Amino acid sequence: MSDLDTLAKSVDDAARNAKAIAQLSMGITLSLEDAYTIQKKMIGLRIARGERRVGMKMGFTSRAKMIQMGVSDMIWGRLTDKMLVEDGGRISLAKYVHPRVEPEIAYLLKAPLAGPVTPIQALAAVEAIAPAIEIIDSRFDNFKFSLEDVVADNASSTGFVVGPWSKPDIDCSNLGMLLEIDGRAAQIGSSAAILGNPARSLAAASRMVAEHGERLEAGWIVMAGGATEAVALTAGMSVRNTVEKLGSVSFTVGA
Amino acid sequence: MAKKSAAKKKPATKSSGGGGVAAAVKKAADLIQVAYDTGTPVPPIRTLLPEGDIDAAYAVQETNTRLRIKRGARLTGRKIGLTSKTIQKQLGVDRPDFGVLFDTMAIPDGEEVPFGMVLQPRVEGEIAFVMERDLKLERPSTTDVMRAIAYASPSIEICGSRIDKWQINIQDTIADNASAALYVLGNTKVKLEDFDGRLCGMVLESKGEPLSVGAGAACLGHPINAVRWLAEEMVRRGRPLLAGDVVMSGALGPMVAVTPGQVYEVRISGLGSARASFAAG
Repeated sequence: MSDLDTLAKSVDDAARNAKAIAQLSMGITLSLEDAYTIQKKMIGLRIARGERRVGMKMGFTSRAKMIQMGVSDMIWGRLTDKMLVEDGGRISLAKYVHPRVEPEIAYLLKAPLAGPVTPIQALAAVEAIAPAIEIIDSRFDNFKFSLEDVVADNASSTGFVVGPWSKPDIDCSNLGMLLEIDGRAAQIGSSAAILGNPARSLAAASRMVAEHGERLEAGWIVMAGGATEAVALTAGMSVRNTVEKLGSVSFTVGA
Repeated sequence: MAKKSAAKKKPATKSSGGGGVAAAVKKAADLIQVAYDTGTPVPPIRTLLPEGDIDAAYAVQETNTRLRIKRGARLTGRKIGLTSKTIQKQLGVDRPDFGVLFDTMAIPDGEEVPFGMVLQPRVEGEIAFVMERDLKLERPSTTDVMRAIAYASPSIEICGSRIDKWQINIQDTIADNASAALYVLGNTKVKLEDFDGRLCGMVLESKGEPLSVGAGAACLGHPINAVRWLAEEMVRRGRPLLAGDVVMSGALGPMVAVTPGQVYEVRISGLGSARASFAAG
């Protein structure tokens, strides 16, 4: 087993046991390339256990998020079927380390996408769009990490909830987004916070996966990135994201 | 017009404080006017007023409002401030405040704002409402308010502070006309039923970068809630909202400090856009 295999296993174990570990970057020096390799190996372990790839997520796509996390690069992670939480469903807090939520927009692809594309070309591959919530969780102590750490940790990807699908002919460049906790506004923003237009995030997703020899597949979901700062979850919360013109998506948090 | 009724109401406010407060109000108003006239910010004026006395702060504002009208300015509307929960928390208050808009503060969409015209300028994206009729009810309902509004427009409020380094508390900002300076309305008129006041997205950009984003709900849950608060407050203070008044209803996202030479554009979903263009230093 290589070092990177060992590290992939430690991140995977941390996620499975919902138990935080020390930052990888504290023990050794990792390149960004190493970090993506660890992520790929870690997802490989999940696939070996029977999980299925269903999409990808973009991270650090908003200024608010970059400032909150102290980083300056976009990142991406892989989504599997096991991460999908049903709209209106309930999660168990015990399965996470220190989960947070972000209001997002999700794209459903009807055709594969790979390599550099314009936002218009990217949108041509879109079947539908939906309001979404991403549940992020860091496997590292205190949600603190370097860029390489968070990439190795699948870009903090943990769960995602997708609301009703709409036809993609809606202009998504500036849709109001309201993240409510127990019916009260916790974060208020606009889809414009996602790189100025979430379609740019989709185009970036196409470019970034190709840099790692992959492509976005038809039927996949692409989570375009958080539009506001993330909110920490506690037991008993009811979480809802309402997006202008797209409707809302929600879930509740059990102990 | 409304000025007369304001004059009648004022003594009731002031009598509780006595002559000492009246003198303090005059002194604070003069100090703020000095900042305007000299183009140099002044220290916080709150130290001159009875601690926490909101009415005294509004009396300072009213003193300078009368001075401006005397100097020939025409009252064109109001601005509502402190409409976000975050800002209210920062200033330790639980309600908005208001300032007065004059014709001298209205900037056409995209027209260049001369450098130095506004002290310590900051911009925010918001929804402007234009009144169709007077609102003189003592306790107007949301329905009354919606019926009294002619239309909404996208807008940029250019705030400024006559107080040095924006070191304001609630009394400083109220006395300083709620930190109002200029306002830009986009040239689009949209009826209330044609956009989503609660969920409409707002983005304020400069050089293509989103500097401030938000949505209608950031303004007291819905901008109409802010206008309703204002309408009631204005009747109570003797200057009710009148047909034709512009109401700048409050920021939909964080305030942005202005860099000389830059153009700021607000886009509000369903309403259109507006630009504030600043001359280089």
